[in-house]
Amino acid sequence: MKFVRPESPEAAASSLGNGSVALAGGTDLVPMLRDGLVQADELVFLRDVVPRGVQSGRIGAGTTLAELEVDPELPQALREACAASASPQLRSMGTIGGNLLQATRCWYWRLRFPCYLHGGDRCHARQGTHREHAIFGNDRCASAHPSDPAAALLALGARLQTTRRELPVADLYRLPTEENRNLTALERDELILELDVPTPDASVYLKAMDRRAWSFALVGVAAARFGAETRLALAGVAPVPWLLENPSALEQSTPLPGTAYKVEIARALVRRALASLPTT
Amino acid sequence: MSAPPARKLQLGRVGETVQRVDAIPKVTGEFAFSSDLFAAGMLWGHTVRSPHAHARIVSIDISQAVPMPGVQAVLTHEDVPGAKHYGLEFPDQPVLAIDRVRYFGEPVALVAAEHPEQARRAASRIAVEYEPLEPIVDAERALAQEELHPNRPTSGHGYREDPRPNVVRTMVVRHGDPDAEGDVSVSGVYELGIQDQAFLGPESGLAIPDGEGGIDIYVATQWLHVDRDQVAPCLDLEPERVRIHLAGVGGAFGGREDLSMQIHGAMLALRTNRPVKIVYNRQESFVGHIHRHPARIWAEHRADRDGKLKCVRMRILLDGGAYASSSTAVTSNAASFACGPYAVENALLESTCVYTNNPPCGAMRGFGAVQTCFAGEAQMDKLAAALGVDPVELRLRNALAPGDTLPTGQKLTGSLPVAEVIRRCAAIPVPEPDGLPRDAIRLPGGSGNVTRGEGVRRGVGFAVGFKNIGYSEGFDDYTAARVRLFTDRSGGLVAEVHCAAAEVGQGVSNVLVQVARTELDIVDDVLLAPHTTATVDSAGSASASRMTWMSSGAVRLACAAVREELDRRGGSLDPGEEIDIERIYRHPRTTPLDPETGQVTGERAHVAFACAAMRVVAEVDTELGLVRVAWIGTAQDVGKALNPQAVHGQIEGGTAQGVGLALMEEIQTEDGLITNASFTDYLIPTALDMPRVVAELVEDAEPDAPYGVKGVGEPPTVVSTAAVVAALRAATGRELARVPVRPEHLAGL
Repeated sequence: MKFVRPESPEAAASSLGNGSVALAGGTDLVPMLRDGLVQADELVFLRDVVPRGVQSGRIGAGTTLAELEVDPELPQALREACAASASPQLRSMGTIGGNLLQATRCWYWRLRFPCYLHGGDRCHARQGTHREHAIFGNDRCASAHPSDPAAALLALGARLQTTRRELPVADLYRLPTEENRNLTALERDELILELDVPTPDASVYLKAMDRRAWSFALVGVAAARFGAETRLALAGVAPVPWLLENPSALEQSTPLPGTAYKVEIARALVRRALASLPTT
Repeated sequence: MSAPPARKLQLGRVGETVQRVDAIPKVTGEFAFSSDLFAAGMLWGHTVRSPHAHARIVSIDISQAVPMPGVQAVLTHEDVPGAKHYGLEFPDQPVLAIDRVRYFGEPVALVAAEHPEQARRAASRIAVEYEPLEPIVDAERALAQEELHPNRPTSGHGYREDPRPNVVRTMVVRHGDPDAEGDVSVSGVYELGIQDQAFLGPESGLAIPDGEGGIDIYVATQWLHVDRDQVAPCLDLEPERVRIHLAGVGGAFGGREDLSMQIHGAMLALRTNRPVKIVYNRQESFVGHIHRHPARIWAEHRADRDGKLKCVRMRILLDGGAYASSSTAVTSNAASFACGPYAVENALLESTCVYTNNPPCGAMRGFGAVQTCFAGEAQMDKLAAALGVDPVELRLRNALAPGDTLPTGQKLTGSLPVAEVIRRCAAIPVPEPDGLPRDAIRLPGGSGNVTRGEGVRRGVGFAVGFKNIGYSEGFDDYTAARVRLFTDRSGGLVAEVHCAAAEVGQGVSNVLVQVARTELDIVDDVLLAPHTTATVDSAGSASASRMTWMSSGAVRLACAAVREELDRRGGSLDPGEEIDIERIYRHPRTTPLDPETGQVTGERAHVAFACAAMRVVAEVDTELGLVRVAWIGTAQDVGKALNPQAVHGQIEGGTAQGVGLALMEEIQTEDGLITNASFTDYLIPTALDMPRVVAELVEDAEPDAPYGVKGVGEPPTVVSTAAVVAALRAATGRELARVPVRPEHLAGL
């Protein structure tokens, strides 16, 4: 396997694909390489070419979660979502760009069952074991998106700058279709460079998990208030980070038998998140 | 007559807190674990494993692997030099699969190469053609399915005849009148998932050929000599030519009783005539050792109006997985201790373990008693509720006491201070609830920041557990120790202690030295020789909470003999002169349980017993189903604490393992495949999940044991799962008949 250090973001992006894979913190990629979920002949190291650090609301995609969680400039929801992610060791390596793109923990997918995401004709989790799985957007694939910061950024209405375009974080994600099983809209040779995060009047991130630290969200709820408008987004409830139009949208969820409890948790967390936002 | 020699060693004797010899090196990272070993010219071994839980092997083609770069050996079952099967108690497990694989991850072939990556790559070129078979994955259905082991390896060993397919062992204990009625009756069905030992140090070791056809194996294990006795026949070597040396152990908890890489590493080393190191990765570790038996338990408790137990009926079904391991003993333990530490006149206790294609199960801290304690203590709480009696009071009314008879018919002749343990635990003041508001980190949900106190209810649970200490049912158990006494250059007297007792983190190394300091207080220094099969006879296993008792007994005997010899020589040694004596210690003899009635056939089937009581305060966020174990108080029957700080460590660690089973630990399977074989998906408690543990040591000397000591490793694990879930029931009012209890079982109250 080759290890390359590109000269520029453009050079990095254009070298991706055909067995070349982007490597940032490696916390998601390296285990996937080990498990054969990603095949690579060449690792394209991003550290020298993707911006890192925070400046007036703009976050370099190479900034680690550990750096974000302590940055007083950033909205509380994002800092809390970073702090609630993984372990200190993983947060010290994992970057925000990589975090937005991390793969699901659905173990049918991880164990390479021929599932819908792998191009198969069905979701094994729907009929199988699925307590960690989705309550929204789960008719074709019931996996749950693992990122906490993604839900925070979605609620905050963050925008992404890539090597090709600018787009809202909401547009980074897509549900899989017959023709395209990807969960993101990123092109194969496109890199996330920066995030532009609006400053809300108040924001918060709450996360229910199986252990008191260092585990994935069963349900994570981000709430961000901009003037009279409050935006809500959820982690761990759909194959992608899920924007909740309003609290009653939870009644339109489509839980599986084993994920119905997540609706209960989401209701309570949404209520608590809203209650905890200071009013003007 | 000369005056007795002055006592020279003042510190570090039996009963004193002595800092663990391995504590600082472990904390600073200097301690060499078995995965840290290197040897000049070393090769790396890799194991090819079955991706199927059950399949016929049609063919194995190694031709593509052999010419791969760096490859020095590729081995299959055809290359096993001696016996093709091995096993801790029954040789039912192929060294390398022959024509069938029976569990996910079963070893099929081996590779040794210059670099671990080369070994992995070559392994991926080994073509194994499988014909998948329907896996047996349900323990109840297994009793009517095709035999996984048609030759029934465990039959003919004096166990009860059970003609049903796939039975590893059935044990029935009939005591008094099993149909005796009571005034009240409570019943329930309980279930426990598969728990993993989850030791942090993966299976690993280094095999070094001695150049004369023999082999030295440096490995993390629990019982060096039984490893040797399983390895040697498979290598077709005399046992003396296989020397097992203990390497740094990163946790064991029963999971290192069975072999892992020992035979494999030795086969590769002997074939290549080079040292071979094998280190399992984390996923491999999850399939590379046996686990705690998952169980389904049907229980009925009958009592009179005063709360006195009249009859306990329990049926226990254990899933043993693909191979026998120590399942027969776990089966027996589950039945023997099913009633808990209570006097019961009448009982019918039936325990069955079956073969399936699920992950193999065997020894894990608590060994059958964890499962029945969870069910039995839930039953005691149900009974207390039905009678309107305080749960602690109900337990006191039924507490076993010396002189009582156990359901196996064994009379309690030794120490078992159940009532005192209950009283001492109940007397530990329970702290007032922490006030509100407080940081979310000190509330259920922890770092998830989910509550400032909304939805939080507090519950207090109480449980009592017990189990046996030492090997049982007629097993000829012993521990050897050898003490060498010599003078050093400055003329000082030095005692060197040899004992193959595996230091698995429990602190037995300290105990060996403490005993020698105590018994040979005339010496200037005590040294501990490496734990090995090469210089001393067997110490038995670091399991069954037996090692401190047994090894301190052996070292004490050897020291006494050395001292006697020294006295005979006039109380001193000349330079170059030495005394070297090995002694064997045996505990009181046990005899088997009757296969039909489960009753003792002699004075005792179990050596001794230990108990613990535990009170747990838990807070539950009843909207989210999240838990904070806020406080734990426990009193444990320890006989005599040889190293009090280490005893407290065992209690805290053992408690944490039970907290894990109560709240999060479960190996998930899908048709026999382990689906969460990583520490990302198999969760164990973090420091944040463990509260402060206030522990009272109840010292009631065991009459037959050296210094009155009892083992202390298992009782906290036996009792803590039951006590934690009792607290959750108290907080939520839910039945919670299955562990681990997860948020979905508590949410939405």
